[in-house]
Amino acid sequence: MVNRAKIKELMNESACSHSKDKKKGEGCDMPKPGMAAGGCAFDGAQISLFPYADAVHLVHGPQTCLGASWETRETLSSYKGRDHTSMGFTTGITTNDVIFGGDKRLSDSIDYIVEHYTPEAIFVYSTCVTAMVGDDIDMTCKLSAQKYSIPIVPVHAPGFVGGKNLGSRIAGEAVLEHLIGTKEPEFTTPYDINLIGDYNVTGDMWQYLPLFEKIGIRVLSSLSGDGRVGEIRTAHRAKLNVIVCAKSLITLCRKMEETYGIPWVSVSFYGKRDTSFAILEIVNALGDEALIQKAKEVIAEEEAKLEAKLFPYKKLFAGKKAVLNTGGNKAWSIASGLQDLGIEVVATSIRKSTAEDIEKAREYLGESGVLMKAPASEQAKVIDQFGAHILLAGGRSLYTAIKKKISFIDVNQEKKVSYGGYEGLLNLAQDLKCAFANPVFANVSKKAPWDIQS
Amino acid sequence: MSQTPKNNSLQIPLSKREHKPLQVNPIKHSQPMGAALAYMGVKNCLPLMHGSQGCASYTKVFFTRHYNEPIALYNTSVSDITAVLDGGDYSILMAIENITKKNTTLKPELIGLCTTGLTETKGDDVRNIAAHIEIPYCYVNTPDYEGGMESGWALTAKALIEQHTQETIRLSPNKLLLLPHVSMQPIEVEKVKELCESFGFETFALPDLSTALDGYLSEGQGKLSTGAISIEEIKELGDSATVITIGTSMLIVAKAMLKKNPNITHLHFDHVMGQQNNDNFVATLMKIRQIEPMAHIKRWRGRLQDAMLDTHFLIGSSHFVITGEPDMCVGLCELLQSVGGTVDAVIATTYSAVLEKICVQNLFVGDLEDAMPYFENTDLVISNFHAERLLHSSKRDIALILRGFPNYEELGNQLKNDQLYEGSTQFLFEVANKLREDKHHG
Repeated sequence: MVNRAKIKELMNESACSHSKDKKKGEGCDMPKPGMAAGGCAFDGAQISLFPYADAVHLVHGPQTCLGASWETRETLSSYKGRDHTSMGFTTGITTNDVIFGGDKRLSDSIDYIVEHYTPEAIFVYSTCVTAMVGDDIDMTCKLSAQKYSIPIVPVHAPGFVGGKNLGSRIAGEAVLEHLIGTKEPEFTTPYDINLIGDYNVTGDMWQYLPLFEKIGIRVLSSLSGDGRVGEIRTAHRAKLNVIVCAKSLITLCRKMEETYGIPWVSVSFYGKRDTSFAILEIVNALGDEALIQKAKEVIAEEEAKLEAKLFPYKKLFAGKKAVLNTGGNKAWSIASGLQDLGIEVVATSIRKSTAEDIEKAREYLGESGVLMKAPASEQAKVIDQFGAHILLAGGRSLYTAIKKKISFIDVNQEKKVSYGGYEGLLNLAQDLKCAFANPVFANVSKKAPWDIQS
Repeated sequence: MSQTPKNNSLQIPLSKREHKPLQVNPIKHSQPMGAALAYMGVKNCLPLMHGSQGCASYTKVFFTRHYNEPIALYNTSVSDITAVLDGGDYSILMAIENITKKNTTLKPELIGLCTTGLTETKGDDVRNIAAHIEIPYCYVNTPDYEGGMESGWALTAKALIEQHTQETIRLSPNKLLLLPHVSMQPIEVEKVKELCESFGFETFALPDLSTALDGYLSEGQGKLSTGAISIEEIKELGDSATVITIGTSMLIVAKAMLKKNPNITHLHFDHVMGQQNNDNFVATLMKIRQIEPMAHIKRWRGRLQDAMLDTHFLIGSSHFVITGEPDMCVGLCELLQSVGGTVDAVIATTYSAVLEKICVQNLFVGDLEDAMPYFENTDLVISNFHAERLLHSSKRDIALILRGFPNYEELGNQLKNDQLYEGSTQFLFEVANKLREDKHHG
């Protein structure tokens, strides 16, 4: 069931930068009516676990929760078996279940799934309604797990307990409680790491995993991009936890450090500098001299290769200025990528950023950079002030770019290619090149004949 | 080609009862999502979902990707504490206050509230909010464990009329109210309105998406809805002499209209696709107005007939499977059958009385797991985005035409017209050309 003590603990995560400046017990903010735009706790939990392709993800709730969310994220998987991440499973409860309880339906659904799909594990997500009516999901999962001898993991992140970030923390708790440490790996190496918080959206992970392989870093398990349940169960034997752009899973890493003595580092793989920095962070934390040396060689080699490929783009982008309006870590990670391409980032949004994100944004943009608190109203002015050439933002800002007659890239739209790692930078460069060259923005900004005063 | 798949020996009957405990690869969408979309068809409305923040966030992403437009939708973000302690008043009023205080240029003319599974389970009484706010207010009870998108849309149109349309016994003979079902895209609503207008009717549609989500470049999008009917116009709908429902789901709305004014004439069409139904539709309008249709309408009828003949070879020798909302399925099915197409199966999102009228061998309420065996044995599938990947994994080449919600990847969904003589013509050509690609070159 939903556990208030646990939620409180997760909201007050000591390692979280939100908590730094707050009084004891205050922790992260609860959503305010009317003001919350992002996803709910269930959304966050599902995002964090859904990439496990060998498990079935069963949403125990009414229609909205899964109906509007399945197959919306490009989390790629190399799983050879039946890929459950492109499928949707829901109990789709009806009035009857609200009145009499949905445990029987849940248990029947699990039977159905095991019989028809034989997954390695099942994650069962509670939702607002099934949490509210008090379905005993824990017991149903426990009994079914005994019956079928596979992990059946209850995830208690009903939407009303908070936002996406909290849900992701709850998902981490569920994995820690039910999966990690329940199986031994076939073998271990001194260079085993767990990747935490990269969901392999558009294959982001595959941009940097080949580098790991070259260096000799082995990924023991992943939470959860291209992940397998069988592997995350062995995660307690890794030497290092690597958090990728996901502060929500800090709690999990802190607890794994306390329980299993596994240290953790937090990195990002956006842009050249961040990618190189991330690799060095990881090998330094693993602390093996030979490995560090090898990593430095690989980085030098890859950077040189990349620089050669970037050369024509850099020539093209010389003197170009960009305004960036996007949320969270993208506010600085995309800025870093743009700078690697020789584009000056004159402003970025910090509307939805944490204290840590703001610090980073300041570091990347320098003293003269504008950190926009209300980008919707500020961005037009900033574009004029600096003579920016391109706006990278969500779809709502498209009109601003048209009015200012400058190029536009929708950074919030579902991407089709990855911007991660060294190679991803080339994808970003290609998209920018197309945006700069495209006459559509200038064409669309032309006045209608009936609006031209003669 | 066999009509019943071999690996599906157990036929699923058409029933209001479910045939399995869960849904695998669902096609059904929830009531609050239909309600939110309906509010988007009202002018300067602030659609507000009463539930936890996820309901609205999912709905927003869903429609943003379907229409490729910013979506105006807010939520009351009910928390675990307010879920227990608050009867709804606090979170709804706080939400309205917070939204309007944060953006003072926002001047909503209507607060359009819909409930969700969470707030219906706890039983919030959302009726009394109007007493505390100055902005006109409409509420609709749409638990997502009942009905579906189609019913949520219809219930909202009904609520708007019940709560805002003034009672009268007066009639304006020229005034026509069109009640389109949820699967009609913005351009389709516009086309049907234009047809009515061409007969000299002063035409209103409820909900009216023709100027909302219709793919129109303008400033400040996504803050308030931009539908074509205002709350003032909804108040005055009572004197519409003619009320036309398109889609069985909208019958409850017409009933609400009749309560406001018993003198109105209500006319119903299951759909306006294909020659027969459009002949009926046009004949009805001719009878009321005692005039001939405009020349271009007559011309389109001839084009449709020509298209029917041109496409009947390909469509008449082909098999089809259709999935979607009931009111959409019945139109698509009858249109294909009118040119000899064999519809092997119709898999609907929810139960509706109109399904009983569909003449196909396999007809039931289900999901894409149920549909898959039928997909495997057909020539062309008409389904939503989710069918795409499933068909990719199939060994055979099966043609796919995307219709219904959601269509996440294709662009210009809001401007696809399948209605009337004109849209039916274009649809038949699209189907035939798709069949040609996959059948003869696949």
